[in-house]
Amino acid sequence: MKRVGVFVCECGTNIGSVVDAAKVAETAMNMPGVAFATSYKYMCSDPGQDLIKKAAEEHNLEQVVVASCSPRMHENTFRKAMSAAGLNPYQFEMVNIREHVSWVHSDKDEATQKAIDLVRMAVAKVVRNRPLQVSYIPITKKALVIGGGIAGMQAALDIAETGHQVILVEREPTIGGKMAQLDKTFPTMDCSA
Amino acid sequence: MSVETSKGWEPKIVAFACNWCSYAGGDLAGLNRLQYPSNVRIIRVPCSGRIDPQFILRAFAMGADGVLVSG
Amino acid sequence: MVAVAQHPNIKLYSYSEVVGLSGYIGNFTVTIKEKAKYVDYDKCTGCGLCETKCPSRVKSEFDLGLGERHAIYKAFPQAVPNKPVIDAKNCRKLQTGKCGICEKLCPVKAINFEDQDRFVTEEVGAIVMATGYDLFEWEKAYGEYGYGKYPDVISGLHFERLVNASGPTGGKIKRPSDGKIPQAVAFIKCVGSRDDTKGKSYCSRACCMYTAKHAMQVVEKIPGGEAYVFYMDVRTAGKGYEEFYQRSVERGAQYIRGRVSKIYPRGDRLVVKSEDTLIGKPIEVEVDMVVLATAMVPAAGAEEIAKLVGFSTDKDGFFQEAHPKLQPVETFTGGVFLAGACQGPKDIPDTVAQASAAAVKVVALLSKDQLATEPMIAYVDETKCTGCEFCVPICPYQAISMKPIKTRVHGETVERQVAEVNKGLCQGCGACVAACRPCALNLNGFTNDQIVAEVDALCL
Repeated sequence: MKRVGVFVCECGTNIGSVVDAAKVAETAMNMPGVAFATSYKYMCSDPGQDLIKKAAEEHNLEQVVVASCSPRMHENTFRKAMSAAGLNPYQFEMVNIREHVSWVHSDKDEATQKAIDLVRMAVAKVVRNRPLQVSYIPITKKALVIGGGIAGMQAALDIAETGHQVILVEREPTIGGKMAQLDKTFPTMDCSA
Repeated sequence: MSVETSKGWEPKIVAFACNWCSYAGGDLAGLNRLQYPSNVRIIRVPCSGRIDPQFILRAFAMGADGVLVSG
Repeated sequence: MVAVAQHPNIKLYSYSEVVGLSGYIGNFTVTIKEKAKYVDYDKCTGCGLCETKCPSRVKSEFDLGLGERHAIYKAFPQAVPNKPVIDAKNCRKLQTGKCGICEKLCPVKAINFEDQDRFVTEEVGAIVMATGYDLFEWEKAYGEYGYGKYPDVISGLHFERLVNASGPTGGKIKRPSDGKIPQAVAFIKCVGSRDDTKGKSYCSRACCMYTAKHAMQVVEKIPGGEAYVFYMDVRTAGKGYEEFYQRSVERGAQYIRGRVSKIYPRGDRLVVKSEDTLIGKPIEVEVDMVVLATAMVPAAGAEEIAKLVGFSTDKDGFFQEAHPKLQPVETFTGGVFLAGACQGPKDIPDTVAQASAAAVKVVALLSKDQLATEPMIAYVDETKCTGCEFCVPICPYQAISMKPIKTRVHGETVERQVAEVNKGLCQGCGACVAACRPCALNLNGFTNDQIVAEVDALCL
């Protein structure tokens, strides 16, 4: 059986005022594979992340579920916390009980039940996660700029100034684009060429 | 299967949402505090192209009343 | 412009187009077509002698048809590179075989009528799209402004050529029909912009300001000149912009709030019919020239190049940024960035800022020695793969190819084809996984059994 830790964030009152975080954690304790569950005021804070680290050691956790805000917001934060706790950062799942629960529902019982369902879903998923490794690919240190108007020229010059090679492709016989056709330009009324 | 709420029976809806649009749209609904019924459960997928028809059939087989695919 | 050509780190391909692209972030291979210039740039000194005697004269694209150029030409005197090309379609030698005056004149023997299109390939790690904009073709949509049949109804860009000191009139504002200096000029804003029925729904952002500039130039450059600006709103969101607009009003530009309903000729002048919505009365102004602030639309060929490079466009054909607020210069395709009006209508200050932003994103990428790739990508179970190749065309990133493997069947070694996922190209969308009939493909982080487990857990 896997050993999963579940951490339920209250996000101050953002989650805590609608979702009963303690009840979610308590219910999670009985989910298959869960070895530890708790709730905390701010999981993304330093003490919150330390909580994961400590629990990982004390309870010999393999996998972690954090129920807090959107993974689009803090997934990377917690992946880093996983690494810091000596766990594989991909043995992690995030449950969105803020944007998808507490901010859009007002009935506390319904919201708490939804949060529990979502945590159960994440636990079922995380026990099937495999440890993944980041791989590396080489980079050709040269840039291509398509279009030699003001945008392309500025980008090409800025990149070139940092010492990188730039290839600038312009379909007309001359660079300058539309801007070369203009007279003085606002608001300074200086010459555009 | 159903969701028992204070308003009586509600259908349970499973939603598959693309991480880049619909799931983000769900986040946006949260940011704007748009209230909607709580009987929908979102499963995040990397793209609506990831959704295998068997997931939808599985949801119905397991008792979901409705499935929303959005991407 | 000269700084670009002279920079030791910039290699300029002028008169060239990107015709092929493959690879992925950090490792693109690009094919560039160098169109035949018929002039050897290694020999050409840019002296310009060839242009003076060329017998073919055609309308200059650079001057929007207001001026003329030869078949061998530089677009304008400060062109970069400052060397001519031969426009094959209008060259007598290339069309009929008779002429070749430029070849005889050229002191360094740089003319080469045998020149061909050349294809070169380059390896790059990042791409900046800066393909710019074109002007909305108002002639096709606005019948009330004459569908382009009145020569003195021109676009703002035409007006720029008229006031430009190196333009066809040497900077004198002369109207195209008879070369007379116009005493009264009407300006119409939002032609094609903010017009769902005939044009585009969006605001083109730069027109309010350049119209203010044009109106000011009319009252300042033409003694007794009158400028009438017909507007829906005056939008001056930008540093120093409102002050600039106020200055144009103080100098005498007359702003009239109303949509122009008709332009028609009276004698050699034009009558502009509108309503002044601030006083609620119809209004008629007789002018010598009308300048239309036409909408910005994506440059011709933008859709094709977007498809070639492999990123999406929005409903109006502008290039789609990854996030309107937080990733305005990124695209959904790794290593491809946006700068300028190709992403949406923009004025010069915004374009320069966005170009520098795109440059920083590129430099951030190129400064790394290697690139970490997201491991949540598709993988193949070779024992299950039947080699049906169904996944290959499904992949929107061309990340799947077939490779031969050797397996032992009944004690014999046989070779068969299986799918292979390119780790650099795969974006982890999982479309191939849903399509794979023998379930050989799976997606790290979103495997079939994980999603089914989620469904089961929810439906408990």
